[in-house]
Amino acid sequence: MAEPIIKLDGVSLTLTSRAGPVQILKSVDLAVEAGESLAIVGPSGSGKTSLLMIMAGLERATSGRVRVADKDFNALTEDGLAAVRGREIGIVFQSFHLVPTMTALENVALPLELAGAEDAFERALALLGEVGLGHRTDHFPAQLSGGEQQRVAVARALAPRPRIVLADEPTGNLDGRNGQQVVDILFGLQRQSGATFVLVTHDGDLARRCGRTVRIEDGAIVGADNALASV
Amino acid sequence: MSSEALTTPARHVRRSRAGILTLALRDLRGGLKGFYVFVACVALGVAVIAAVGGLAASMRDGVVRQGGLLLGGDVRLSRPHHRMTPAERAWLQSGGRVSEMATMRAIARRPDGSEQALVEIKAVDEAYPLVGELVLSSGRAGSGTGTGSVRAAGGAIVDPILLERLGLKVGDRIALGALELPVTAALVSEPDKLTDRLTFGPRVLISLQNLEKTGLVKPGSLVRWRYSVKLAGASQAPSDKALDAFRVALDKALPAAGFVVRDRRDPAPSVTRTLDRLREFLTLIGLASLIVGGVGVANAVTTFVDRRRKVIATLKSVGATGRTVFAIYLTEVMLIAGIGVLIGLALGSALPIGVVALLGDAMPLRPEVTVSPLALALAAAYGLLVALLFVLWPLGRAERVRPAVLFREEVAPESRWPRPRVVVAVIATALALAALAVLTSDSRRIAIYFIAALAALVVVFSTLGWLVTVLSRKIPRPRKPMLALAFANLGAPGGLTRAVVLSLGAGLTLLVAVSLVDASLVAEFTTRLPKQSPNYFVLDISKTDRQGFVDLVRRTAPGVEVHEAPMLRGRLVSLKGVPVERLKPPPEAQWVLNGDRGLSYSETVPEGSKVVTGAWWPKDYQGEPLVSFEAELARKLGVGLGDKVTVNVLGRNVTARIANLREVKWESLAINFVMVFSPNTLRSAPYSVLATLTLPSTAPVADEARLARVISRAYPSVTAIRVRDVINAFSGVFAKVMLAVKVAGGVTLLAGALVLAGALATSQRRRLQLAVILKTLGASRRQILTLHMIEYLLLAGVTAIIAVLLGGLAAWVALTQVMDVEPTFTARAVLEALGVSLALVLAFGGLGTWRVLQARPVPYLRSE
Repeated sequence: MAEPIIKLDGVSLTLTSRAGPVQILKSVDLAVEAGESLAIVGPSGSGKTSLLMIMAGLERATSGRVRVADKDFNALTEDGLAAVRGREIGIVFQSFHLVPTMTALENVALPLELAGAEDAFERALALLGEVGLGHRTDHFPAQLSGGEQQRVAVARALAPRPRIVLADEPTGNLDGRNGQQVVDILFGLQRQSGATFVLVTHDGDLARRCGRTVRIEDGAIVGADNALASV
Repeated sequence: MSSEALTTPARHVRRSRAGILTLALRDLRGGLKGFYVFVACVALGVAVIAAVGGLAASMRDGVVRQGGLLLGGDVRLSRPHHRMTPAERAWLQSGGRVSEMATMRAIARRPDGSEQALVEIKAVDEAYPLVGELVLSSGRAGSGTGTGSVRAAGGAIVDPILLERLGLKVGDRIALGALELPVTAALVSEPDKLTDRLTFGPRVLISLQNLEKTGLVKPGSLVRWRYSVKLAGASQAPSDKALDAFRVALDKALPAAGFVVRDRRDPAPSVTRTLDRLREFLTLIGLASLIVGGVGVANAVTTFVDRRRKVIATLKSVGATGRTVFAIYLTEVMLIAGIGVLIGLALGSALPIGVVALLGDAMPLRPEVTVSPLALALAAAYGLLVALLFVLWPLGRAERVRPAVLFREEVAPESRWPRPRVVVAVIATALALAALAVLTSDSRRIAIYFIAALAALVVVFSTLGWLVTVLSRKIPRPRKPMLALAFANLGAPGGLTRAVVLSLGAGLTLLVAVSLVDASLVAEFTTRLPKQSPNYFVLDISKTDRQGFVDLVRRTAPGVEVHEAPMLRGRLVSLKGVPVERLKPPPEAQWVLNGDRGLSYSETVPEGSKVVTGAWWPKDYQGEPLVSFEAELARKLGVGLGDKVTVNVLGRNVTARIANLREVKWESLAINFVMVFSPNTLRSAPYSVLATLTLPSTAPVADEARLARVISRAYPSVTAIRVRDVINAFSGVFAKVMLAVKVAGGVTLLAGALVLAGALATSQRRRLQLAVILKTLGASRRQILTLHMIEYLLLAGVTAIIAVLLGGLAAWVALTQVMDVEPTFTARAVLEALGVSLALVLAFGGLGTWRVLQARPVPYLRSE
């Protein structure tokens, strides 16, 4: 059997706050197979987003081993981690995080340009068409609605054809109809590309669309699949 | 109507007034965070103005309080050429104790003639000094200093610099004219030095008897006689009434004596005038730094009200009017401006104390540090007005925030103009500021120009800043993503561009202009002048020695060019029948009326000048006395053809009619005079001859030195001044002035740097956010660093280039229109501007970038 594309072994995360050290994650073990879709659920402050950030290499584990896309994250420098993200990982945030001074097209092309792709704009244009924004390519983020901004963010995350897509509450800032639209696009593109998909959410319906669900509480994984009923 | 109905609204109004202050103070509970740059900008400008005002007032007070000391008495009379007659002396001595002295330039030599130097002789009687002390070093090494006087039989007391220059020590002998005498002590200080004219050489103090023995004083030689008088009956300082009475009596008793009279109330008008000029100039520089700092104030307030948008919307949604919101925030920011003003006043008051403690001993007189309430009030007024000017606009926009902001996410920031009354208030504040600057300045014309230039600078740089943002948005997107992002950042609303271009630009423009003017003037002195100018000016050649002198020079240095002219000194008494004391000429022409001028006569148009109006007199002209006046000065003094000019020469008033006006090329350094008379006017007066000696340009320096030695040996009473030495002395003074101007310009640049730091701090969060997004998309630290560097380089480069262009233009105008000097372009000025601009932007920006690169991304990615 092939090695999991994401593998966390005994991962802990402790951050120091004014009140003293706070243990965010407690010895988490988790493996995600290539092409799998996984939902991480749990109450606020349980450590879901931190877990996702560790998978993205945006946060370093205090202890334990992190292996993603055949790379040992513990051994990589910050720039090494950035390079892995650029090639292998697409991330969608709750607050979109588009570059406000760039148009929709430029935002989507940005990761491709950073990676030195010659056809960055052609690919970005095609992707914007796929998310239904072919007519709004020259608009700046401030000129787009929340749903449109998130669709641009989805297109940007998928532009480098990553093997892994990480999404942190992608519908958290959107109303029901817009949220549904974004989720449909996200799952459609994921199916098309065969990418591995890890989703952090509060939304039980959204979690149920994933192949597998893990539940996290107080920094530790407390259950899988069957825990869905209580989401 | 019931009393209830009357009192309720009144109570309500009172409460609502108190309410605004309360609300403002409540809003300030968050502390001054985000206002540090605001406070620093106001404090810096106020401190400069307060310090300048305080220091100038202290020095002025010092000059006036120590007036008697500086004059060497209560009153001082002086005139050129002509020693006091016994009758004049008798009259003067009836008024009080009198001390006589004579000053002149001469050559001092080692007795063997191997070394010589130009010196300023001051010959005094035994009464000198009437007031104050002459401090001497006793001559034995390490034996300290003491006070002393110049005895009739004594030797010379000389400036230690002269001993060094001639390789002599106390006890050795020194030659002055025909006299050799021992050096009895080295001079540490003389009490009345400040009121002496600008000196070119070191001081030599001798007795009047010894001056006679030197043979330097001959009819027509350039000696100035001075008489200090300590009024009789006044043990303390005499009253204004006594001084006025003395002056009136003097005018009546000796009406045509030709004395320049000063009294202790204004002992050194040129010094106080210079102080006033310096104060005004530095105050304007302080104002410039305040205005530049004003950009920082405006930025801080814009950021502040942006952050308060929701609070403003909330206030409005619970019933606050725009006017109330405006009042609350205006109260708040003006309270903060008040803190800046107080800090500035404290610093500005402390600075003079520090300066006097550090430099007091090096100053010509020790200023007494006084707190000048007027200077402090002026500085505070400037600070508050500038703050008001720059906060009104952003606050005026804030008052128009709609409560709807609460219900939807911020889309594109609305850019609305403030209400008309705020726009009117902005204009009124600007006018009040300009009026304050102009009305508190003696030279109003300069103040008006300066304010206009400052306003133009602000307008030009904010327009250019806006243009850069627009261009950055309009240019086709570069292929390189980091370059594209850098341009996008430059064009972003609320970005750094406008603040940086405006704040740094103004300071840099000043720096470039000063550097270019400096370089052009230095080039004028050092390279252009000596090529065409004579090697020596020779003074005090007597009428009888003239031919012998010329023959000797021609024999010693074949190929030498000799030009000569008769010269006397005289004082302008009246123009068109109006006494010069009553004239109010523009400052740049004032010097002609102060003290005595060189006068000459000539049969032909002097070399280096050309008649522009009227006609030169014929040879052997014998009619009414005529004079030729320099055209430019004639225009400034308001005189023209046919007007009468009266000068006092050797105690006699001579009136002549202006026959023609000449344009003079002063920089040729040929012999020239403001006033040249027809020969019949002055020929009978005892004059000396002034000559210039120009060696062929191929002559070695050794020939130049040999010529001077031969002249001084054969004609000990003749003074040969090496032009190169004068130019060096002048360059030295000039370098100090330029340094002062550069330091003042540096303050403006410091204000610019503060604004820059503030603008970078404001944009820091936006930069962090962008860097984090880029990191999540796979950007390396190097790529982020590159992005920031490109942005900084573009900003600094654009600002420097604009500053070079504008500074160059300002320098060109100043050089060609005001100073009449050929502009010299130096790469140094440009490189300096680029260097300073880059250094500042990279230093402050680099710090921000370093923090961006260190930051943990996660906190910026989580939803708020």
